[in-house]
Amino acid sequence: MMDVTIKCFSQVKYALGMNELNLTVDDGLTTTELEKLIREKAKGKLDGVSLRVSVNQKYVPHVIKLKDGDEVAFIPPVQGG
Amino acid sequence: MIIVEIVSRPIEFFPSDDNRQQDGAELIFNGRVRATEHGKNITALEYEQYEGMAETELAHLAAETVKQFPINDLLCKHRIGKINVGETSLHVVMWSQHRKEGLKAMTWFISELKKRVPIWKWAILEDGRKIPSECSHE
Repeated sequence: MMDVTIKCFSQVKYALGMNELNLTVDDGLTTTELEKLIREKAKGKLDGVSLRVSVNQKYVPHVIKLKDGDEVAFIPPVQGG
Repeated sequence: MIIVEIVSRPIEFFPSDDNRQQDGAELIFNGRVRATEHGKNITALEYEQYEGMAETELAHLAAETVKQFPINDLLCKHRIGKINVGETSLHVVMWSQHRKEGLKAMTWFISELKKRVPIWKWAILEDGRKIPSECSHE
């Protein structure tokens, strides 16, 4: 098992009702599997919301296996400016 | 020269520069908070950032812009936190030899900022409720 931290922003924060979530998950869990888990926790509130993934504060364009201690964010459409 | 800053206080504008001999265009963009969003009246927007990543992405974008376009300097401040209607949320200044490339660079920089820098807005309604902003224009 390994620990990951999920940072929550905007619609993700609104859907989950928290800024941060610490989870203990199976070794080798992928970003896609973690996203599925987060969407399930949101109980439909993230349906239709596209999410980009960042790991340790860098966008990851492809599915990757997570490592113990990783900081993950599922980034809804950004709105700066 | 590139300067990017994310600040949580009212933006102090970068000064205009009368000493440039080779730059015919000084472009200044100020993004301000509108009073309505999707037909609803708001009193302010609250900007949220992914601390660390937002400034890193902004710095990468600024470097990419200077590399891609013939502009000489790019200075940018993005404010976060609660910003009242009418106040400035984004301030960008660029200098270029001619205005055409400067205008192109400014448009590209702001469009890309709105696609990749992890900053979000929450709308504060007249009754004080705070909801995620629905506004995300490129």
